Amino acid sequence: MEFTELIKDFLDDAEGHLAVFDASLLNLEEKGFNRDIIAGTLGPLHTLKGNAGMMGYESLKVYVHEIEELLKMVLDKELALDSGLDVLLGSVHVIRHTLQGIEKDPMTKPDLGNAIVALRSSMNGKVAASSPQAVDPRSYLGTKTDTIKVDFKRLNDLLNLVGELVIYKTRLHQIETQMRAQMESKTFTKELKDGLEFMGKTIAGLQEGIMRARMLPVSYVFNKFPRMVRDLAKTQGKEISLIFKGEETELDKTVIDELEEPLLHIIRNAVDHGIETREQRISAGKMPSGTISLTAGQESNYVIIKVKDDGKGIDPEEVRETGVRRGLIKADEQLGHEGLAALIFSAGFTTKREATDVSGRGIGLDVVSRNIAKLNGQVSIDSAPGKGTVITIKLPLSLAIIPALMAEAGDEVYAIPLSSVDESIKVREEDIHLINNREIIRFRDRVIPVVRLDEFFGLPGRRQRRFYLVILGRGDKRIALAVNRLRGQQEIVIKPLDDTFGKSYGVAGASILGDGRIVLIIDVLSFWNGRERREEEGDGHEPVTSGGESL
Amino acid sequence: MSSIKLPAAGLAEDILVDYREDSRESQIITFNLGEEYGVPISQVREIVRVAGITRVPNSPVYMEGVINLRGRVLPVLNLRKRLKLQVCDLSKSSRIIVTEVGSKVIGLLVDAVSHVVRVPAQAVEAPPEEVLEVDTDYLTGVCKLKERLIILLDLEQLLKREKVEIKETGGDGQEG
Repeated sequence: MEFTELIKDFLDDAEGHLAVFDASLLNLEEKGFNRDIIAGTLGPLHTLKGNAGMMGYESLKVYVHEIEELLKMVLDKELALDSGLDVLLGSVHVIRHTLQGIEKDPMTKPDLGNAIVALRSSMNGKVAASSPQAVDPRSYLGTKTDTIKVDFKRLNDLLNLVGELVIYKTRLHQIETQMRAQMESKTFTKELKDGLEFMGKTIAGLQEGIMRARMLPVSYVFNKFPRMVRDLAKTQGKEISLIFKGEETELDKTVIDELEEPLLHIIRNAVDHGIETREQRISAGKMPSGTISLTAGQESNYVIIKVKDDGKGIDPEEVRETGVRRGLIKADEQLGHEGLAALIFSAGFTTKREATDVSGRGIGLDVVSRNIAKLNGQVSIDSAPGKGTVITIKLPLSLAIIPALMAEAGDEVYAIPLSSVDESIKVREEDIHLINNREIIRFRDRVIPVVRLDEFFGLPGRRQRRFYLVILGRGDKRIALAVNRLRGQQEIVIKPLDDTFGKSYGVAGASILGDGRIVLIIDVLSFWNGRERREEEGDGHEPVTSGGESL
Repeated sequence: MSSIKLPAAGLAEDILVDYREDSRESQIITFNLGEEYGVPISQVREIVRVAGITRVPNSPVYMEGVINLRGRVLPVLNLRKRLKLQVCDLSKSSRIIVTEVGSKVIGLLVDAVSHVVRVPAQAVEAPPEEVLEVDTDYLTGVCKLKERLIILLDLEQLLKREKVEIKETGGDGQEG
């Protein structure tokens, strides 16, 4: 953060504390001696003192400290309230004046020497009859703030309106293209085109502005964890330091809200299962104290959040054994790196034998992976035995507008959130093979199951010799989604579907295209769910449709 | 004793009937599904032509799909299928009645919209169970106007019952 921004924050904050102090003093003057009110003023003053010290305004810090002392004397009845009150009310002006000075020129170091001496002498004299001095009326106004609080709903409404604007803009562009093809006069269409382009730029600016207004630094979430890590570490006899990097990275508030829960699980896991006890670490030749680092950073339209610990890492053999014990894999099944990672993210998996206070109650990384996928994000794990584990979360910057890949299946167009798409390839029918009655494709040395979108949705099939496979990734798993054609990428505005008649399986929402047509957004999660369930059942049932009422 | 003001002349009985009629008359929009049906005009927002319905896969059979109503994604029910009547194809006269019940806005696909009629309260009777094709739970009553019989739909019931049925039949799809 820029120094001037820090000053602004400091001033905003100080003004708030000072206002509380001022109001309490007036309250005291009215009601007389009241222990609660006096004690209530000490908190804000203390914060103000601390902040002033941190910003390097030493003199202000000392001055506020003297006020605190004076208040404590009043509280201990060493000083009569009446005699102290005038001095205190006067001090509000002194502080306000000082803050205004800082606002005008942040580089000044205000010198409150005289005021401090005056305060001290009034305390020593106990009953200093300081006559009220003439005060500049403007000092009652305080400093000006550059920050306003806005109800989040208002920002949300604005964003919805911008979403509509984006839709109409695309529509106008299409009309313009059609007109250009039919009109003789080129100058007319040219002007229309220019006008549309300017409008488009303004709309893009407006959209970005509102998106920015909805952003919060990720430190809002990060700051919830130091206390938890400290307490957990203490009860388990571990030493852990939690460090942040890039916590100023900004994210849409809706994403921030949804991020808490997954991060909580991941950090708990790192504390419980990752970092070893002090003794174990020493005998392993490590630093006695473990470190968990939370890192945030932006990459194009995504935010990357990493939780890294320098603990014992994940033992592949232990993971395999647990998988066998829980019946998730066969006893003789050998797993590669990716298979192990997939196992860790699957339901009902925890390696710790006895449940601890926090983790190990069956809530594990599968919940994390599901929650992140709901946000159109991805989560992956990387671990080196003895060295530690890194869990990486990749999230879109916003939940309301996402980039999507438009694909045709049956006679419909569907939007696939780009965050789940690894790549897409053109294939022929003979590239698809059957193994155990399931369709698969061999691609990049992997065997990837194929899901045909038209079959999945029960659409009339329209078989083509050549079609496309969209490779979807979740962690280390892949699924190839077969579609007839690809229509390219597009930013889409997500609109929820009415759920009066039940949620439609496989559909995450809808969006309106420029031509007014509605496309459905595919719920990528349902493909994994469908597969997992079928695997659990051990047969080839199609996913059950909701509300399957027949005539 | 009584404070009802009566006109200078006329049979008291007739006047009282008029009085009651005025206060309890309602307006309904009637539409065709083979027979004539009606919903209160107070629950109708607008009537739109049928165009650009996007089908929603894995939804109940009577869900016709969703339409774009000025930037809003509006679910549309096929009322014939919902009421388990014989299904017929869309035609030029097909319309979507946009209804608003509570906080829900939902479109109803019907064969044709007829007109707005005033219905005096005493013309409404309880639905005669044995002669109607439709499940009487979805009806508030039937209305007899001269030669016509208008079946009055209970939209709240039509939408409310749905949720229960969905829970019973289709939880699977959502749990994963």
